[in-house]
Amino acid sequence: MTGFNFINPFGVSDEPGTYLGDFYTDNFEKKATAGNVILNLGPQHPSTHGVLRVLVELYGEYVLRAEPVLGYLHRMQEKMGEVKTPYQYLPNMGRVDYLNPIAWNWAFAGAVETLAGIEVPERAEYLRVIAAELNRVSSHLLWWGAFVMDLGGVTPILYAFEEREKLNDITQIVTGSRLTLNYFRFGGVGQDGDARFFKLIEEFIPYMRERLKMYTGLVTDNVIFRRRLEGVGPMDESLCLRYGATGPILRAAGVNYDTRLAIPYGVYDRLECPVPTGQPNDCFGRYMIRLLEIEASLTILERALASIPEGPTLVAKAPKPTYKLPAGEVYFAVEGARGQVGCHIVSDGGKTPYRVKLRAPGFSNLSLFAEAAQGTILADAIAILGSLDLVIPEVDR
Amino acid sequence: MIRAIWDNLKGLYSLLVGMKITLIFLFSPQKTVHYPRKTVERENLITYRGPLELTRGKTDPAVTRCISCQMCVKACPGHCLTVVKNPEKSVKAPIEWKYDFTLCCLCGACVETCPTSALAFSHRIYLVARTREELIFDLLADLKARVEETPVLPGEEGASAEAAQG
Repeated sequence: MTGFNFINPFGVSDEPGTYLGDFYTDNFEKKATAGNVILNLGPQHPSTHGVLRVLVELYGEYVLRAEPVLGYLHRMQEKMGEVKTPYQYLPNMGRVDYLNPIAWNWAFAGAVETLAGIEVPERAEYLRVIAAELNRVSSHLLWWGAFVMDLGGVTPILYAFEEREKLNDITQIVTGSRLTLNYFRFGGVGQDGDARFFKLIEEFIPYMRERLKMYTGLVTDNVIFRRRLEGVGPMDESLCLRYGATGPILRAAGVNYDTRLAIPYGVYDRLECPVPTGQPNDCFGRYMIRLLEIEASLTILERALASIPEGPTLVAKAPKPTYKLPAGEVYFAVEGARGQVGCHIVSDGGKTPYRVKLRAPGFSNLSLFAEAAQGTILADAIAILGSLDLVIPEVDR
Repeated sequence: MIRAIWDNLKGLYSLLVGMKITLIFLFSPQKTVHYPRKTVERENLITYRGPLELTRGKTDPAVTRCISCQMCVKACPGHCLTVVKNPEKSVKAPIEWKYDFTLCCLCGACVETCPTSALAFSHRIYLVARTREELIFDLLADLKARVEETPVLPGEEGASAEAAQG
């Protein structure tokens, strides 16, 4: 079959024995060796964490080729940025990546502030760091549970959700919601934390350290878990750099790159955030990096709580909903839970931005999968997919 | 050979450690809140920002503070608010205040821009509706109903009460 079939666009035929696949399957099948099985992982597959579809060519149980097919959860987030004023577009940032909304909040608010030259008060900067680190811990916790569940351990996700509930209670005090957090404003944050907010964080830090020790005994040291992951799916430095992978994957590959330190934003340069590296570059290394990052986030939280100053949380002349961006171009990047979250705004001085480009770390991280999964067993490919920490709404945007 | 046996023993021990943790949690008190029989404590609920409500007036609690300036309507990213001005120019209070909760994203742009703080988030966390129409609220009628139900607020009644008193 060549080209697009207008008569039968969905590839369903009544004639027996003639199944016409869709565009991706057709192209994928052309390169397949005769006798091999073409398999669709997804779009509705529990281990793809959303609606990701992966086409794989199988020889027995070995994956010869893999090709992710995206776009099942595309919501035109970038286009929406062009039809709304920046202020109205800000709540969308909580919905791009529902597990790590604060990083996206920060990327967009930071881009607008850089372009417009808005100063952020000191206290607001510290509150931003606190919110971002709490959110990073909560995102990593959900990944931890889901990753272990992918590998067949069903109960750990329930322990992870206990901590997540605590974190949701804390972030709800300042943001008012539990999932699609909309905390940042241009020139500050939405609400100051009250005494209960700071008390709960102070209680949470030692509690989480205890739980991390429990995780080690429950999952990390488990011999079945270790043998399942050690040496599976190595991703070396050159592979990561070629595909533009960032975040824990890049740090597991041995590159000491963290946006918080490489391009300091907020008050991160004052907090001396520890960046864990030096793990093996296989699935187990990526797992360990994320657990160590939770620990590092707790340290940053402690330091931020110790040095948070008093003062206003929103700049005096904060932009109104009808605020017009000055003409110009800006790129602002922050370190999300999955890697570098970036926002590129081009403005011509009109009511709405001319173009908003969102750099999703998951998109680049997913492109590693096709190469890393070549020649592995199908079950190992699932482990590699899980270790990439994909959130499909963020990949598709 | 000895190394292999030692590795296996170590692996077996790691499994026992995991099982011990599971056993401890099996006999520790349950943390799940079984919703219809139990609910989350109140201090956790009042931080939740639910659907909008009009705050009580300063002189007459049943009369809204809204002056129909349309600031919230312009700010709303989802176009979920409809405020109809009174045709008589002397009266500032609106004659109709419709709020479509199906389109609302709870971002708070309206609450933050309101010059008279006539709007606030409610804490209605257990909101249920069977049809779309039930989620389109008439906030003026809602304010009247609330004032009739509790004419004078008790000392603490969440953020909306603080705004109404202050």
